[in-house]
Amino acid sequence: MTRQLYLTALFFLIHWGAFSQTIISGKVLDEKNLPLPGVNIYINGSYDGATSDADGTFEFETEEEGSQTLIYQLMGFKNQEFTIVCNSNPIAFQDVSLREMITEMNAVTISAGAMQASDASKAVVLKPLDIVTTPSAMGDIIGAFQTLPGTSTVGNDGRLFVRGGDASEVGIYIDGLRVGNAYGSTAGNFPTRTRFNPNLFKGTFFSTGGYSAEYGQALSSALALNSKDISPRSQGDLSLLSLGGGYSHTLSSAKQSITVTGNFFDLGPYQKLIKQNIDWERGPHSWDLEMASQKKLSDGSLLKVMARTESGGMKLWQKQAGQEGRGIYIDLNNRYTFAQSNWKKAYENGWTLFTGLSYSNNTDDIFYDSVNLQKNSKLIHAKFTGIKDFSDRISANSGIEYIQSGYSEGIVEANLERDYVDNQFYGFTEWDFYLSKKLVFRSGLRAGLSSLNKESWIDPRASFAYQLTEKGQISLAGGTFSQVPVENFRVLNPDLKNVQSKHLILNYLYSESGRTVRAEAFYKSYENLVTFDGLPLAPENPINEGKGYAKGMDFFYRDSRLIKNVDFWITYSFVDSKRQFDQYSTKVQPAFAPKHNFSFVAKHPMQKLKSQLGLSYSMNDGYAYTDPNQEGEMNSKTLSFQNLSLSWSYLPKPNLIIHFAVSNVLGRENVFGYQYAQTPNASGVYESLPSGQAAPRFLLLGVFLTLSKDKTANNLNNL
Amino acid sequence: MKKYFLIFALSFIWINILKASDPAFEKAMAKQIQAMETIQTLEESQKVSNTFLRISEAQPEEWLPLYYAGLLQIESAFRFDVDKDQAFEQALEYIEKAKKIAPENSELTALEGYAIMGKISVDPSNRGQSMTPQAMQLFGKAISLDKENPRAVLLMAQMEWGMAQFFGSGSEKACGMAKMGGDLLRKEKEKITDSYIMPTWGSRIASEFEKACQQN
Repeated sequence: MTRQLYLTALFFLIHWGAFSQTIISGKVLDEKNLPLPGVNIYINGSYDGATSDADGTFEFETEEEGSQTLIYQLMGFKNQEFTIVCNSNPIAFQDVSLREMITEMNAVTISAGAMQASDASKAVVLKPLDIVTTPSAMGDIIGAFQTLPGTSTVGNDGRLFVRGGDASEVGIYIDGLRVGNAYGSTAGNFPTRTRFNPNLFKGTFFSTGGYSAEYGQALSSALALNSKDISPRSQGDLSLLSLGGGYSHTLSSAKQSITVTGNFFDLGPYQKLIKQNIDWERGPHSWDLEMASQKKLSDGSLLKVMARTESGGMKLWQKQAGQEGRGIYIDLNNRYTFAQSNWKKAYENGWTLFTGLSYSNNTDDIFYDSVNLQKNSKLIHAKFTGIKDFSDRISANSGIEYIQSGYSEGIVEANLERDYVDNQFYGFTEWDFYLSKKLVFRSGLRAGLSSLNKESWIDPRASFAYQLTEKGQISLAGGTFSQVPVENFRVLNPDLKNVQSKHLILNYLYSESGRTVRAEAFYKSYENLVTFDGLPLAPENPINEGKGYAKGMDFFYRDSRLIKNVDFWITYSFVDSKRQFDQYSTKVQPAFAPKHNFSFVAKHPMQKLKSQLGLSYSMNDGYAYTDPNQEGEMNSKTLSFQNLSLSWSYLPKPNLIIHFAVSNVLGRENVFGYQYAQTPNASGVYESLPSGQAAPRFLLLGVFLTLSKDKTANNLNNL
Repeated sequence: MKKYFLIFALSFIWINILKASDPAFEKAMAKQIQAMETIQTLEESQKVSNTFLRISEAQPEEWLPLYYAGLLQIESAFRFDVDKDQAFEQALEYIEKAKKIAPENSELTALEGYAIMGKISVDPSNRGQSMTPQAMQLFGKAISLDKENPRAVLLMAQMEWGMAQFFGSGSEKACGMAKMGGDLLRKEKEKITDSYIMPTWGSRIASEFEKACQQN
């Protein structure tokens, strides 16, 4: 009896230890009930498991006993878990279907109005490097965006104009924080540039309408620049240009980095050498100091600080139509400071918190003829946002903001000064609902309050995107947008109401590796535009009586595969805009909104010559202007604008770049409008002067040297 | 008699416990490492990779299964028709997880550099600028963590080679490094036994370098 017991025990032990095997088989399907291969099916805590075959089936043996957890796992899909009992009876498991997780990588994105310049995403219209290698841009961020759909080039202004909107309708943000006076101060038809160097940023988001509720105080367009993260290495960058030079030093460790930059520019010597159309007394000159620092804190959050201060000026004579002599003497001096800091952390539980503060301060000291005019703008922007991913299908982005905007202007001799301070409060919330990875809805609400005009408002916005085919998608966006009037109107009439605009945008986007096609149609309405009496230089009695519209469509095609070693893009934008605004008593086509706009940009790397050639060509059908010798407003149009620019970058060594660029190679005499005498001459004719280019051509020669232990470093981004 | 039975029974239990300990782990790993050598298709790669992931799930204190799962992701991105960016990202995810188990590990650091190198290869003209220093730094760190890691040296040699090609400069530096990597690889071979489960790959890169450097 005992002997028998031993044997039985022995049998069980052996069985338990080595021979108890349960065969588990089954089939895995996807959401459409098609077989799903490659799924890892295993018993939790053991090595036992299998990978599903092409037909979705699997089979494996396990020596585990009793109640076990069977896990189905595949990258990009939601795990599924089941409890099974292993007792050496074969288990033919039910069919299991796995649901695909919706991620940034595989889901449709809202493309209406939006253009992204980034390394990460594939459906990009512009790469970060394009900003520095587009010849016509001359290293200016805005210059590169002027070759994109929905924008128009206004050569004597330099700022960004989007779809019939004026330059103030483009809101510029760094890390989500508003930048005041992002463009340099200028005078006398000399085009301005953005103050910020492109190499501060890792990517940009540019929207020509219908954008997120996160952005306010931008009627036409939002341009969001995202600053770089921690620098990978310590280095020094030296740049010598035909117009000046600078040095930048970066200190970097694994957890933090800091870059300090100093630049000095003086166009004077260059302008003496090459014939200019502007009568310069002293060419534009400036210096700037910049600091950018990034730090990874011990809790995994990222803290960024950026600060910039600069000073510049110019002196020139502006010839007046119908008058003898050099004209009016303008002496401009500018001081500008910008600082911002932000902190961001992504938590494990799906929350991402962001908080930031920015400060801009701009002072212009201008002698116009002999009148000394002083202007100062201050902007403080505080922002706190929280993004919550409730699941892979629903996420919400909400935040509160405070903006303090102050402005003062005065005439020193007359002891005249007027100013205002406006406190604005905002709240926004925006929800994304993914019904599938092919269909997304976004709805948002932005509410605002201004202490100055005592107005409160709510702007609803909505958009959706649907993936039509593997590579094509459509997207629709609409909403209302509000913006307080510009400073020089508000200071005259603090009760001015918000200017409002409604957008409706339909977009088609086709993207595959190396090829992007984008077509967009839009309609935009304007309400409460500010009109005034008198001339733009001295507006009187501004009121919200204007209105208008802009409608049109644009096309974009980019291809880097069609022609070997050539990366090019073509843009055509059609804008039909009429609005009653400024001094106009009727609805007119604004000077900054040419109807037909075309650009072509191509880049050709030449490995053997260690060079890259760039070409860009822009044209439009001309700018509207008012000829007082004829009836009506905006009754004439200039000749078409055309600009062919070329650039050549030469990299003889990994850490040395020589860059040469010429704008308007063909020397076309572009005219952006005409300045008329205020009174007719003896024969009853209003005499005129063309507002043309600062010079027939612009030449830039730069040498960029990177000093680093790592010899491969070069400062291509500084071009 | 009862005593013998107890010993007998206990010995079986002991065997059962042993199953979950190291020899089994090493055996399972060795089997999969062997299977890696013969991978011809994406499906086979996925099978082996899945097995490594299962081993990792069962032994969350081991970094090697995650290392090999990451390596397979990188290699499959180079060899097969998959979404390359996604594969490299997945590899980086495994490496990140493994780094939590074994921080400051030379092999993991080198593998991370390899994944970054893969990401550069997807879009060299745009990513090279920002990501090359990152990869070089990782290889440098891997070498400083273990001066005898042939993979770190060989991968760095590959980066040097690519940059020399791009800038049209001489490949002496790359070839010198590759030779050093080859020597380290031969030295490493002496350690290898049947149950050796640490990374040993790299001979293919070394022999390719040998050919390419002879031509120059």
